[in-house]
Amino acid sequence: MILRYAILISALFSLSLQAARLDVSLKTSDDSVLPGTVVYLTSAQPLPPVAEGATAEMDQVNKQFKPHILVVQKGTQIRFPNSDSIQHHVYSFSPAKTFELKLYKDHHPAPLPFDKAGQVELGCNVHDWMLGYIMVVDTPYFTQLNKQGQASLDVPAGDYTLHIRHPRIQDDAASLDQAVTIKGNQQVQLRLKQPLLPGADDFEDQDEFSGYE
Amino acid sequence: MRGWLALLTVASGLSQGAEISGLLQVNLLAADNLDSYQQYGTSILREDHSGIHLQQALVRVEQDLVSGFSVDLVANLHGDGEQHVGLSQMQLIYKPLMPSQTKFKGRAGFFYPDMSLENPELGWLSPYQYTQSAINSWLGEELRIPGVEFSLYSPGRQRHSPWSWEVNMGAFRGNDPLGTLLSWRGFALHDRQTLHQDRIAFAPYPSVVDPGRTNHPDWVEPFHEIDGRTGYYAGVHLDYYQHSNLRYYYYDNNADPLAANDQRLYAWHTRFHSLALSHRFGNDTRIIGQWLKGDTEMGTRWVFVNFDAWYLLLSHKWTEHRFSLRLDSFKAREDDKWAWDPNNSDGRALTLTWRYDLSPHWQVGLEHHVNRNTAANRPTLGQTAKQNQQQSLAVVQYRW
Repeated sequence: MILRYAILISALFSLSLQAARLDVSLKTSDDSVLPGTVVYLTSAQPLPPVAEGATAEMDQVNKQFKPHILVVQKGTQIRFPNSDSIQHHVYSFSPAKTFELKLYKDHHPAPLPFDKAGQVELGCNVHDWMLGYIMVVDTPYFTQLNKQGQASLDVPAGDYTLHIRHPRIQDDAASLDQAVTIKGNQQVQLRLKQPLLPGADDFEDQDEFSGYE
Repeated sequence: MRGWLALLTVASGLSQGAEISGLLQVNLLAADNLDSYQQYGTSILREDHSGIHLQQALVRVEQDLVSGFSVDLVANLHGDGEQHVGLSQMQLIYKPLMPSQTKFKGRAGFFYPDMSLENPELGWLSPYQYTQSAINSWLGEELRIPGVEFSLYSPGRQRHSPWSWEVNMGAFRGNDPLGTLLSWRGFALHDRQTLHQDRIAFAPYPSVVDPGRTNHPDWVEPFHEIDGRTGYYAGVHLDYYQHSNLRYYYYDNNADPLAANDQRLYAWHTRFHSLALSHRFGNDTRIIGQWLKGDTEMGTRWVFVNFDAWYLLLSHKWTEHRFSLRLDSFKAREDDKWAWDPNNSDGRALTLTWRYDLSPHWQVGLEHHVNRNTAANRPTLGQTAKQNQQQSLAVVQYRW
């Protein structure tokens, strides 16, 4: 506990306490937008750790993961409720979190800790078309692009590295990272060079008899 | 009834991991007056008495076992037919978690190959109509796989592709009498699925039952193993998103058509192709079709019948109402040595159904079915070969 406070205090002193704002907008190679894209800031300086007891939720609704992409800070506990009246069997083989969880009707398993940064790809062994992502980031400064392809982050002024991530982006991840010094109101506009991977969002377009098993 | 209650008790006592669901349908039926094949008549419909009937009663139990394994059982209660309580499906499924894009799964037991797209409802029922197509009425009464199936499959979404595919190969023993009903009774239209050790009656055609002729009973138990040979099938599924589905299967029971058992049931060598298609227009309208073509042989071409059937089903959902219309066409044509055993039959049918969801559990529906069918062996029983039949149904359903 003492160590945690020491880190927090040193973090506060190392960054200016003056609030600053970063506005990010992203265009794809064909000038469209990619809502849900994860935007986050890391820093060479220590950043505030995850709040004790922080939890998030990845639900199963109408045989889909909801949200499609969930962003959490490293150390967050994630619950997997099941809003459907049928069984799901959620799994991941991603290095950031390998697990499987059977979700029965009226059964509420304990939340799982996500302690390693990275992209966690989720599937369901009952409904093979289900696909979802959990982005675990080692920072409290994260957000997702809205339907206009824009997002804002209110952070203490300072030097950061801006990261942009989405499972459909084919551009080299490192090429999208950029150092930013944020003071006052900073704006960053980005454009992808590579076309997006097919979204296959049409898989979420289904009726009550889709996925005959 | 005692067996049914015992099954329910066992089902409800299973440990965590068991998913238990069920469905009950009761109908008020205005029947055609021709005696049903189930009453040893020549009608190709399930009922021949107007009144209240049990349309469906079934319980499905899915139980997870050790990693990747599960058991899936469907138990039915029938008010009609020869056997009233029993299992229509029982399978041990192995579907391991795999990180690769192409995955493996398998199953063993007593199950349907997934060749049809008409019946995604619980217990292989149709959510669209009560009276199933001629093709799936026949599959439901005479075909089951007492065997194993191995599948390779690749869900498209994990490959960022709209296309998903699956390849299935199965091998089985049993199901040797498959083809008996098509050859002597012809196709029928109903939703009664044959239970594991069930018997299906048909009219006592003299060419079939007379000791001096075929000397075969006027019923069949379709799941017997008679010749000790292994049958097989192979199928391919191709799906475009969840909008369009195509399934092609080739089935060959590899039966020895000269083999018979001590009940005088024959092994019929039956082979067929099945092609099924489904396409959804928007969220509410779906068209489903299936084509089945094959042949069946008993003896050294003593009886040999080519069969061919198709249906086209259009279904539209409007709020909680679902309207479905299906056109069926079916025929069996003989090309064999026994001229005294006529096997030609054919027909067309139209089925119009309305189903209305009162709640997630309760549903009501109405259906009217008409068919015109011909069976060349009806005159051997003093009946007219051509028959026009119709049936009306009002159904209340409870699902849990």
